[in-house]
Amino acid sequence: MSTNGLDPIVLGHNSFFGVNHLSRKHGASREAMFDDVSAIVGMMESASALDVGAMMMSTHPRAANVTDVVRASAELRNRWSFYPLLPYITKYIRQANEKGMVNIVLDQIKHAGWVQGLSILARGGLGALTRDYKHVLSTLIGLELAPFSDLHVKAVFLHDVLTDLALALDIPEVLEVHITEIGRRFGARAGFATKNLPLLRSRFERYGFKSPLVLAQINKIGFGMNPSRTACEQALAGFDGDVMAMGTLASGFLRPAEAFPYVFSQPNVRSVVVGVSTASHAAETFAAIRQYHVAAT
Amino acid sequence: MPAGAHPLRVGVIGFGKMGLLHASIANGLEISELVAAADPTAGVLESLKRLKPKLAIYDDFQPMLAEQQLDAVFIASPTHLHTPMALACVETGVAFLVEKPLSPRVADAMSLIAALRERPVANVVGYMARHIDTFRKAREIVSSGALGQLLHFESTMYVSQLFKPGQGWRYDPRSSGGGVLMTQNSHLVDLLLWFFGPIERVTGHVKRVYSEQVDDFAHAVFEFKSGLSGYMDTSWSVRHHRTVDLSILVHGQNGTLEVNDDDVRLFIDEGHPPYAAGWTVWRKPDLFEGVSLDVGGPEYTRQDEEFLRAVAARGEVASDVESAVRVQQVIEAIYQSSAEHRAVSIEAAA
Repeated sequence: MSTNGLDPIVLGHNSFFGVNHLSRKHGASREAMFDDVSAIVGMMESASALDVGAMMMSTHPRAANVTDVVRASAELRNRWSFYPLLPYITKYIRQANEKGMVNIVLDQIKHAGWVQGLSILARGGLGALTRDYKHVLSTLIGLELAPFSDLHVKAVFLHDVLTDLALALDIPEVLEVHITEIGRRFGARAGFATKNLPLLRSRFERYGFKSPLVLAQINKIGFGMNPSRTACEQALAGFDGDVMAMGTLASGFLRPAEAFPYVFSQPNVRSVVVGVSTASHAAETFAAIRQYHVAAT
Repeated sequence: MPAGAHPLRVGVIGFGKMGLLHASIANGLEISELVAAADPTAGVLESLKRLKPKLAIYDDFQPMLAEQQLDAVFIASPTHLHTPMALACVETGVAFLVEKPLSPRVADAMSLIAALRERPVANVVGYMARHIDTFRKAREIVSSGALGQLLHFESTMYVSQLFKPGQGWRYDPRSSGGGVLMTQNSHLVDLLLWFFGPIERVTGHVKRVYSEQVDDFAHAVFEFKSGLSGYMDTSWSVRHHRTVDLSILVHGQNGTLEVNDDDVRLFIDEGHPPYAAGWTVWRKPDLFEGVSLDVGGPEYTRQDEEFLRAVAARGEVASDVESAVRVQQVIEAIYQSSAEHRAVSIEAAA
């Protein structure tokens, strides 16, 4: 199957940042394990040895620690491509509880540095949010992506919470800002994470968004597939877009050998983002992906 | 939605994080459409109006209720505004979903209860944890009697949120009614009442660490009317909980049941159909059911759909004002118990 320029295997980032959708306790212990940046770099080296050189990474506060190490190493910098996922939404949800949504945006803008921050606030503080939402969003995207400057960024995904909010509210303008910003600033492809693939397809067709890149849960038990696995399969068939599959192992519920025949039986699945925590798990998972990805060609 | 039926006209009061979430769900579902929003904060709704020109926006909820002929309203304002706004909905004959907790004090909700008895409208209080797969399953098991006589429980709600004084209305008790016990932990109190029935007596202890005016830690012992007793422990100032983590473990004469956001673990000595003897574990993928739209979690969609269906067809809802008042009574009794260093019975608090 063609990958349309995407890496067929992309290393997931969740275990680095304490996210496990099957078990929060497990997630927290993995976070402790990867607390040391050298453990993450060690995992990248194991993946390199298995010929994988692509990683998805949330714009987590700790992402900069990792990207600084990569930037300092010519070998890692040349070898690895990144697929940032923005923003790190949990941080903002916690901050919304702490200080409210408006203060989050204002604080972020203040942190954007003198020139950008002042130029937005000079337009009238909160009023700037209304009159100039494109500039504000652009500033926020720039802040989130700062740790990835000078690195090889192939695509930048918008977090599913934001994609799905925009789809539900039916406001394509927010999604358009993402497309233009990622293309203009990074020369990278804009991608959209979603938990509502059929809704995304129907809305994107109405908005006239051509050949989108989508990150969505695809697995044989239908975990995380809304409104149902069948509806998602129907949305994948004949979809004018490229899909990166996530949640393929249903958070560890499925073994690689049972998971990937299903994933690659689905049309338009070009690539898989998969979390691995040990070298042996990585070897087993990557081998199964390669076997069934090739089989689908 | 039946052919020819019009989508329900929905308004949202308070356009913070929760208002945005409910507005999105209401607009994304086929049964309803977001037509109006009210928020006093300058700038917030103007930006949305720019993107959704047909949306009617207000800086005050009263004219929105008067002018928009709404079928349903979502109230997501600071807590002290909940009951006055809900009361205005009842007086206008409009169904409402109000965010949790219902009100800073039990007494604030009394006129709302009276108004609803006089003029009933569909009403829901946002205890969405009742719609999380694992807690739904656990409630089903508890109700089945599989555990036998219930003896003892342990329960916790933790989130790593606050490690310095917070900003905004949530940390001002006049607006919020209290700290972690009143806010996120009200979900746990609601689940305990939903699982185990009415509470006879509580003994509580609350503590401030980072906050000047509200509790950051709370602990309580509950004695249920059924004879079950146990404890609840909660904090928003503990490490290693990146999101809200709810957990309940209950011991019965026939076994144990442990439930959290990830899984349900049942152990019973004697089989109790459909539950087999020994261990049974349900993980999230075992229990997953897709929803028509997932924005921020399937539990919110299920809750909002349940509410909107009740508006359209006068259906049943899980958590309403009457049940939410019972949550407030328990929380108020815990604060009273902590202040007076004695056990407080729930009747006395009411």
